[in-house]
Amino acid sequence: MEEHTFDPDLVREIFGLVWRRTAAERDKNENSQNVDAEVGASTSKKKFNGANPHALKLSCELLRIFVTEAIQRASAIAEIEGSPKIEATHLERILPQLLLDF
Amino acid sequence: MATNDVEREEEEDESVNQLLRDRFRLCTISIAEAEAMKNGMEVSQPILSCISDLACKYAQQLAKDLELFSQHGTRKSASTKDVILSAASLRSSCYDLKQKTPQSEKKRRKIT
Repeated sequence: MEEHTFDPDLVREIFGLVWRRTAAERDKNENSQNVDAEVGASTSKKKFNGANPHALKLSCELLRIFVTEAIQRASAIAEIEGSPKIEATHLERILPQLLLDF
Repeated sequence: MATNDVEREEEEDESVNQLLRDRFRLCTISIAEAEAMKNGMEVSQPILSCISDLACKYAQQLAKDLELFSQHGTRKSASTKDVILSAASLRSSCYDLKQKTPQSEKKRRKIT
């Protein structure tokens, strides 16, 4: 049985984009602080190397659970209302609790 | 000239970001439609877009949390422990995720 899931490479690229942005913001803040202090002190440069392959696979699973949970909850509401299609109204009702749970 | 370079870099970043979001959206749509089909239901298009946007935002937040947790544990890369911590609010999912943690990582932790 083929299980649909996220591609670990795609998730790694998305994570990488976020980490590069946070590293760039951190560097910008450190540079402005060094200019203010007028001291050439070496700040502790902790370079983040990303996530190991197992952590990436687990992250893919977590993201898959998020999507399937949203669909399952919305389809439960749609079933109660007797609708064959999941619509915006069904998603609206489960969204607050879903976002709190995740 | 420097501002032009910065602007060009930002545009490239934005196009890469857009491409990743589109690929993510396709994955989300296939997962969502497969899940809905299990219950014999269909999903409308706006719902698929909404869920993929939410999942993308969740992924970005997860990335930030992983970095923070691993740096707090003085690690230079995120491990499965950090993913499980990020999902700490999901009690039952936490248990499922722990089951999916590969045996090799558990054994390595026992030896060290």
